[in-house]
Amino acid sequence: MRADIRGKMRVATVGVILAVMLGLVLCLPALAQDSGTITITMTGLNEISISLNRTDWPLGNVAWNTVYETSPPIEWCTLTVQGNCNVNTFIVGYDAIWIDNPDEYKWTLSNDGSNGEHTYGLWFRISHDTTRGPLGDGYVPITKTQSEFWPYSGGSGSSLSPGDSKKFGLRLLTPTFFYSGRDMRTQITISAVAA
Amino acid sequence: MLWRTASVGLIAGLLVVFPPCLAVAQSVNFSVSPAEVRISDLHPRQAAEFEVTIYNSGELARNFTFTTFQPPKERRRQGRDGFPEASWIRFSHPEIEVPANSQANVTVTVAIPPLHKWSNQDWEIWLGVAPESSDVLGVELWVRLLVSTGAGGLNVGLVAGIVTAAVLLISGACFYYRSGHKRRAK
Repeated sequence: MRADIRGKMRVATVGVILAVMLGLVLCLPALAQDSGTITITMTGLNEISISLNRTDWPLGNVAWNTVYETSPPIEWCTLTVQGNCNVNTFIVGYDAIWIDNPDEYKWTLSNDGSNGEHTYGLWFRISHDTTRGPLGDGYVPITKTQSEFWPYSGGSGSSLSPGDSKKFGLRLLTPTFFYSGRDMRTQITISAVAA
Repeated sequence: MLWRTASVGLIAGLLVVFPPCLAVAQSVNFSVSPAEVRISDLHPRQAAEFEVTIYNSGELARNFTFTTFQPPKERRRQGRDGFPEASWIRFSHPEIEVPANSQANVTVTVAIPPLHKWSNQDWEIWLGVAPESSDVLGVELWVRLLVSTGAGGLNVGLVAGIVTAAVLLISGACFYYRSGHKRRAK
């Protein structure tokens, strides 16, 4: 009788030990994942920066289907590379929103610089860049998809270095028809990434 | 009649206004450091942290927002794929106000889910820093984030664990069988 109880206890003890060991073994892979060396490198302690010497374009009243250009047309704003790394720059535009009620009314930014009803076009031109763009006159459409500002595919220019600058201007083509009496606001973003 | 229609259209059109900015034209002047971050050997299930510093060199306090951007293939470093999921990246402050002529740090955390398929990958994503602005022109600076994940430790550990568990179970079964056999022999 006593031997039988001792046998059962032995089996139970071995079972518990096995269960504990099994649990530990199953935990090992999980524990192993939290260990190891992660290397984080901040490349050369680089600092990226570009500056624009002006950011506002007070147009006032605008008419249908009309072109407006910054003044001076292609040297209105100067982008200057600061920081200590070379950069590639990009440009993107957005729909123009009705300031009083942005969800109610907007002008859609076209994807090729053209205009239409409630659709407007935006263009930029960099000084001394005379042949770029679909019309070969230096003007390039600004769209809602990030596109190259400088350098650009097919161009001979290279990344901008610290101290380099680019002068440029903007062109707005208003919609062929829009609701009048509404204050509209648009935005264009120029961005930079380390080359 | 045609002239009259055109005149009416012009008058109506003129009523739309792009509001002039009354403030003096202000330049945008800020910088971000580092411009590029490389994280190596980040295994699935692990997380890494680093700091991004914004320097506001302007004369006004500005609110800066952090975003992520998946660059197209031609703008990524050679051999890099797009980062699978932007939600794996967290900012300690998605928006932060930086006083004039001051700087602020934001901690960025990159956490990779525990799936073997994320092992041995080379990814790139851009982290954007932009000041809030109501002007026509805005500036955004991108930090290149290059992440390389390490070998899949998950499967190696799992296989080792399963093999060990199987050996222990077989040993236990043998021990139990032998104990029962001895009892029956007595």
